[in-house]
Amino acid sequence: MGRQTSVNSPDNARGSSAPAVPGPGPGPGRVILAMNAITKTFPGVRALSGVDMTVRAGEVAAILGENGAGKSTLMNILAGVFPDYSGDIELDGVPVAIHSPKAAQHLGIAMIHQELNLVPDMSIVDNIFLGREPRTARGTIDRRAMDEQATRLLAEVGLALHPRRPVRQCRVAEQQLIEVAKALSVSLRLLVMDEPTSALADAEVRRLFTVIRRLAGQGVGIVYISHRLEELDEIADSVTVLRDGAYIGRRDMADTTRAELISMMVGRPLDELFPRGDSPPARGDEVIRVEDLDLAGDRREGRAALHGVHLVARAGEIVGLAGLMGAGRSETLEAIYGAFARRAVHGSVHLRGRRYRPRSPRHAIRNGIALVAEDRKAQSLVLTNSVRFNASLAALGRFMRWGTVSAARERAAVAGMVIDLRIKTPGLNAAVGNLSGGNQQKVVLAKCLLTEPSLILMDEPTRGIDVGAKAEIYQLMTELTRRGSAIVMVSSELPELLAMCDRIVVLCEGRVTAEFRRGEATQEAILDAAMDRQAVLGVEVAPALQAPARREVSDE
Amino acid sequence: MSSRTTPASPRALAPPEPPAGRSVRTRLRGVLPVLGSLQGYIGLVLVIAAGMLTKGQVFWNQQNLTNAVGAFASRGILAVGETLVILTAGIDLSVGSLLGIASMVSALLLVHQNMNIYEIVPLCMVVGALFGLANGAATALLRIQSFVVTLAMLNVVRGIDRMLSNNVSVGTQLINAQGQLTPRSAQFQVLGTPGHNILTGLPLPLLGRAGIYYPVLALIVVVVVFQLLLSKSKFGRHIYAVGGNETAARLSGVNTTYVKIAVFMLAGLLAGFAGPIDAAYSASADPLAGSSYELDAIAAVVIGGASLAGGRGSIVGTLVGSLILTLLDNVLGLNAISDNAQLIIKGLIVILAVVIQRPDFFRALGPSVRRLGRQIHTRTGDPPGTAANTSPQPQPATPPLEESR
Repeated sequence: MGRQTSVNSPDNARGSSAPAVPGPGPGPGRVILAMNAITKTFPGVRALSGVDMTVRAGEVAAILGENGAGKSTLMNILAGVFPDYSGDIELDGVPVAIHSPKAAQHLGIAMIHQELNLVPDMSIVDNIFLGREPRTARGTIDRRAMDEQATRLLAEVGLALHPRRPVRQCRVAEQQLIEVAKALSVSLRLLVMDEPTSALADAEVRRLFTVIRRLAGQGVGIVYISHRLEELDEIADSVTVLRDGAYIGRRDMADTTRAELISMMVGRPLDELFPRGDSPPARGDEVIRVEDLDLAGDRREGRAALHGVHLVARAGEIVGLAGLMGAGRSETLEAIYGAFARRAVHGSVHLRGRRYRPRSPRHAIRNGIALVAEDRKAQSLVLTNSVRFNASLAALGRFMRWGTVSAARERAAVAGMVIDLRIKTPGLNAAVGNLSGGNQQKVVLAKCLLTEPSLILMDEPTRGIDVGAKAEIYQLMTELTRRGSAIVMVSSELPELLAMCDRIVVLCEGRVTAEFRRGEATQEAILDAAMDRQAVLGVEVAPALQAPARREVSDE
Repeated sequence: MSSRTTPASPRALAPPEPPAGRSVRTRLRGVLPVLGSLQGYIGLVLVIAAGMLTKGQVFWNQQNLTNAVGAFASRGILAVGETLVILTAGIDLSVGSLLGIASMVSALLLVHQNMNIYEIVPLCMVVGALFGLANGAATALLRIQSFVVTLAMLNVVRGIDRMLSNNVSVGTQLINAQGQLTPRSAQFQVLGTPGHNILTGLPLPLLGRAGIYYPVLALIVVVVVFQLLLSKSKFGRHIYAVGGNETAARLSGVNTTYVKIAVFMLAGLLAGFAGPIDAAYSASADPLAGSSYELDAIAAVVIGGASLAGGRGSIVGTLVGSLILTLLDNVLGLNAISDNAQLIIKGLIVILAVVIQRPDFFRALGPSVRRLGRQIHTRTGDPPGTAANTSPQPQPATPPLEESR
């Protein structure tokens, strides 16, 4: 939209200005972006071979593909992250060479990465204008102009936050929208979003979609990378499918079905995503019983408090923990696992009938508890080290011979896991950081399984991984329960919980607000229970939600 | 279909190599990562070449090389301890002071208590380990950054050292009434005085019956022991895990507090071990002995390819780094380059070493060199394709569809 003018005046906080000159409104406008025969090779791997992609003005063009299919690589080329590639990129019919992120920015291409690129200790406004701060005549930073524009940009993405608030205090969903606002602060032709919803709860996804639609309505081309097919139904106009770095096809969203997309993406029809039958499993012994679990919250570390959480899991059972962000789901798992200081945790835990006091992760592993942590990169993996190193880390004691780690035993065990879990890796010594998200998650699972746990705590086990890998993980979970493990699983995706869990416990503000048996739960009932406390205790809870008080400030 | 399903592991499906060659190659690949980066060896060869070209036989003879390494051995031993700390993403600035106090303690024990070296060396190691324990406890339990803790310890220990010695250096060559060295003092000389070898008279390979210079032997033994500790033991794995991702290590059941305390203790222990060597080398314990040695140690670790961010590096790499610094010292000295110029050159070498060890260094040089870099990378880093050679069955990524065929 009006790019000649906005290039000259980048301070212009666009948005409410007139819509794009050609192709107003949604629907097929002119072609903004055409990528032809893009090829990119990494040492030893051809990541992309001859991929085509077009985006029209006002279109939400989705890119779909399994992990490692090359979606992110393609978009990183567009954003100038990878300077050497072959193929042509045309922007508004003009051939361009994008060899640096700066060049991409000048062309009006913005990318919002899966891992957000905000400086947590700086304020929202400082993040938005980072590196492009407007100056006053005297050469100092023009704070007032920045604040004004920031407020306008934030309003445009539907945020009512004060621009001077530190980003650290904003929730993930808010940070996502701040990134969008940042992208809007320069003249924007094309916005690339890499899995923007992977960390968001359903309500927050809605809000993001509203913003995306509004942007598309203004003529911005949106490239939307996601694994969640149900989202694409809702938001995407067209879908480009990649598989193993190759272009498979492009469909208009209206003319395709979910089954077709899956088969394009996976290369084979996916029989059944969720392998669990409806028959209730044989009731095993209680593996874990948690009663009156209290946890002191810690605002500085962003840790929610728990108040009297009850939880029981039997052998062969999958128990789901539902709730909004900050409801204390992860905290429940981590408290059982012993990740918190002992003085912060109170309550009684019985493990296989015996009293158990969470002491440390080490202690938990020895007692047959394993945790698949929420953030695999930050909490689970040593990314620069090999698959072998990571998978065996928690179970090294099992591979000892004469006081040293027996490389042969270790290799055999890890290789077995690599085969069982079908981890796609060039070798056992390949760095985990080079694997795709789904395969990284499988390495995390391998690490847990090598400790031979009887209770597996899974925090968002399928976050940010593709359908194929998801199905495999569901299969694995089913298999584990069949062998008598108990699984407690946290997930933000309700369909996943509904399909996989024997029972679903709903948390809200650190309290259990409902418990459903398999078949009794519906998405609506779970959401009701998850918001329950907010409605009832609105006033009391408000400060913890960091909402109204601050909002007033920002409304000035 | 079948070609599609296995693209992520093209090497895995390569035709299997003959079994005889495979085991050798596999073993080699297991060893290579330990050896550190190829760049380090290139640097070492360059330094040696410079020495040979400028001074020839004067440089490349056993006597000169032994002296050169011997002069640096105590710092090399410090560098081994420093490597452990740096692998956990910490840093220990106090090792130079710890070496100083250990050398002072050894001299005082010799002079005042007339102890033999079998008592002196362990006691010095205990002293070093205790200060290391203090470093570790403050870092891991009080959660103070190790830079700050060890900076404070550097001064504290130096102060104690100077109090012990009343700011006077203590000579270790004691003369008795007959005008000869006392037996204990003569024994102490073996620890490092140039020209006093141990294991003389034994038919050693390469060295003959001349024996071996103790500091060199000590350095070699320390390097071997600690490299084995790192690559073979559970504790070694835990060190890498703590440095690579502390949260992940903790959630994987690693006792991160213990690991952090232990590496500082070991660094202190090694400083204590190196102290008597330094005292014997200079025939006296100076209250300022070991000043700025920590910087040489850190430089050696960095030149050896370790990352100050933790999780990457090896003891053998550190040894290569130490040798580069040692021989560079020697070559520059032989060529009568002034001390001041030497400092400048050594400083620049550290920067150069870090630059050329960047993973993308070869890429920046252009396509032809890039190819070379890729080969080196696959050889020294985590080599891909090892699983194909080592895992009991053919590669995993194959779906059942193929296996059933």
